[in-house]
Amino acid sequence: MFKTVRSKVIITALIMLTFLMSAFAWHTIISRMKTKQLMVQNYVYSIDKFVAAMDDRIIKSEDNLKGLSLIGSLYYKTDRSDELTDKVITRIFENYPETLGGGIWFKPYIVDKSKKYVCFYAFRDKNNNIVIDKNFASEEYDYPNQEWYKQIISQVTPKRNIVLTKPYYENLGSYTKMVTVGTGIYVDDELIGIVTVDMEINSIMDDVSKMKPIEKTLSMYKSGGEIKNSFALFGNYKDDYIIATTDPYLDGEKLVGHSLREIPWYADNLYEITYITYHGKKYVPFVKKMSNGMELIICIPKSEMFKDIDRFYSYIVIIMVIIGLIAPMLLYYSMNNYIIKPIDKLINIAYKIGNGEDIQIKIEKPEEFAQLASTFDEMTKDIKSITQERAKINSELSIAKSIQVTSLPNVFPAFPDKTEFDIYASMDAAKEVGGDFYDFFFINESEFMFLIADVSGKGVPAALFMMKVKTLINNISQIGYNPKELFEKINKSVSETNKQGFFVTLLAFIVNINTGKMSVINCGHNPPLIKRKGGKFEFLKLASNFPLGIFDDTEFELFETTLNSGDLIYTYTDGVTEATTKDNEIFGEGRLCTCLNDIEEISPTVIIRKVKSALQLFTDSAPQSDDITMLTFKYNGRGNVKNFKQESKLENYKDFYSWIHSACNEWKINKDLANKLDMCAEEIFANITFYAYPERTGTIEAKLNNSDGNIILEFQDEGIEYNPLEKPDPDINLPPEKRQLGGLGIFMIKRIADVIHYKRENNRNILTLIFKIK
Amino acid sequence: MDVIIKTNGFNTLYVHAAGRLDLDSAVEYGTKVKDAIEDSDNAITEVILDFSQITFISSFGLKIILELYKHLKSQDGILKLKGVSESIMSSFQMVGFDKFLVFE
Repeated sequence: MFKTVRSKVIITALIMLTFLMSAFAWHTIISRMKTKQLMVQNYVYSIDKFVAAMDDRIIKSEDNLKGLSLIGSLYYKTDRSDELTDKVITRIFENYPETLGGGIWFKPYIVDKSKKYVCFYAFRDKNNNIVIDKNFASEEYDYPNQEWYKQIISQVTPKRNIVLTKPYYENLGSYTKMVTVGTGIYVDDELIGIVTVDMEINSIMDDVSKMKPIEKTLSMYKSGGEIKNSFALFGNYKDDYIIATTDPYLDGEKLVGHSLREIPWYADNLYEITYITYHGKKYVPFVKKMSNGMELIICIPKSEMFKDIDRFYSYIVIIMVIIGLIAPMLLYYSMNNYIIKPIDKLINIAYKIGNGEDIQIKIEKPEEFAQLASTFDEMTKDIKSITQERAKINSELSIAKSIQVTSLPNVFPAFPDKTEFDIYASMDAAKEVGGDFYDFFFINESEFMFLIADVSGKGVPAALFMMKVKTLINNISQIGYNPKELFEKINKSVSETNKQGFFVTLLAFIVNINTGKMSVINCGHNPPLIKRKGGKFEFLKLASNFPLGIFDDTEFELFETTLNSGDLIYTYTDGVTEATTKDNEIFGEGRLCTCLNDIEEISPTVIIRKVKSALQLFTDSAPQSDDITMLTFKYNGRGNVKNFKQESKLENYKDFYSWIHSACNEWKINKDLANKLDMCAEEIFANITFYAYPERTGTIEAKLNNSDGNIILEFQDEGIEYNPLEKPDPDINLPPEKRQLGGLGIFMIKRIADVIHYKRENNRNILTLIFKIK
Repeated sequence: MDVIIKTNGFNTLYVHAAGRLDLDSAVEYGTKVKDAIEDSDNAITEVILDFSQITFISSFGLKIILELYKHLKSQDGILKLKGVSESIMSSFQMVGFDKFLVFE
């Protein structure tokens, strides 16, 4: 399952995706952390900026106070012009636009012993105009008894320190929360009064609560609004009182001026604390101590602070998860569509093409597969044409093989009119065309030549050479040389034309069919076996000559003998003795000799057939590696065999029995046996004539053979299969009335003939009767 | 095949033939004898086949003999064979005809 491309690609892709996702996740975590740090720094920066602005405001109000204090001392020391002082104050206030109001307050009776209240006060009205208010120098207001006055006057020193009052509510109608900053007016180290500048607390607190991270740097997280639920504490750390708080769980108004310890979450080391938990929520405290001992603490809810970032990163996580889910699906889909399906298609089509179907592959996408498909098509075409070519070559080879085989004489009986001998030969070519051949022909009226040969090598060249040698032998043989001369001439011709270095082993016999005189030459071939009449098969000891085609001037040694009637010669090529089993055991000469001697019926055809079946039995199913060629010659002598061949017509019966009679006369067969032959022959002739060819006339062939003290009568016909021996015998003991008219003939034949034998072969009925001559 | 058939004027038919009684001649021989039996003015009760000149009898000949025997038997006649040679006799013996044929 994990061996397919599909699974391998998916596994690889998943591993890669895992790596990628891990890297991305790691990067996200780090960047989130960094972003948060950046965010915190931004808050710090914003608060710093804010505090710096506050400090700036305080510093400015100090400058303001200094200016007022100078004017106060000048007023005291010089002309004491109210008008001028008012103008200068107005001018100062114009220069300090943050200032709500402020004034110069002299101690009672210090300027003028008659005037208790001397003060100058200016403020900004709603239209931002500076207005001089003279109403404070009155009994009703009695500024020396005001809380802010008492606080400041009690704390000022000649070092012109700045004193901050606790926040209070302006009670002149607007009730805004105020804080007054003041310092003393000293003339010659004597305190003569104070100067004050009023600042509104609420606007500061508002600014604090509206404070948000710098938009420019964090614009990517911008959610469009202020940070909700944050609150601030503004206090005097040094003097331990609350200036203002926007803590939603406390009443900020009541707590103004109270100790900072009354704030539940307040701690001295607040700036060291990462976050505080307050009413179940986490807050990050930003603590800033100002130069004058004031402290600004801003508590921002952790969740709010990082809300945008968290949301942003949660989007990223969701996107990552979606990508992580979609990517493998997409990968699988595209791989399936663009790789696996085309491959499957190709496999399928390759399989179909393998089965011989004629299919064109149609793949248009992806391009590589389109290309592969077209290449595949090309290949299929090539294969087809190669296959066709090969089939053509094969068919040509098989034609060559059949030409080779049919060029050998293969019609048997080869010389039906020659009774002096029987010859039978066969060649079973191996898969390839080979170099075996046999041949036989008359070289003159009385001399018959038969030969068996093997050209070295295999294949078409050997086959062509074989054809040449065969033709050459045949041609030269007709010229009329004596045997020795003849083979030397043949060898010379073969050698002269042999440029390819072939050689030919040859075993040739020239028999005078009248006298039985035989010349044998063996040119390096397997020795023949001879069976003399009544004897056994044995190898014929022959002098072996060089194969043909090696030396063109070789002298050959011949062997001469005389054949008697009934002698038989068996020749073969090495395909017989070297027939091999699967276990590489060869058939060998010993087995061949035994096999031949086990054959009872001495007929060339039977001998070759039996050897073949013995070979088949021996090699079992092992493939035939070499041509198996055999030739058997039986010498009958002159006049020992009579043949008859006629149409199967009743009117030919007379010819038939006179043929038998003449044979019997010639061979001086006694009358009794002649009668028996007559009787049997007639019955079989009648059977063939009447029954073998139901709708036509065919041939009837008969052969009489006088051999080894036997008369062998053989019938052959090409009619319907009929084994007369299977016919049941009539009961000869029945009373005549009950006896059938038919069936007598076969019954008689069975009684008369010494041996009776039927076989069906090549669509022929062959019935052989053997009669012993007593 | 020449078949000479004579009658004694009464109930006996005398048949003489020479040569082979085989595929070529047996049927003719049989037909001629049967025709003579049919054509006779008197009812034939005895047929004597002269075999002295018959040199060979084949299974066809034997078949005809059996046929004639059966034919005569059906007419309450009798078939007799005369001058049967040794070789022909052995043929009869081989097929068991000697058991019912009458030889003179």
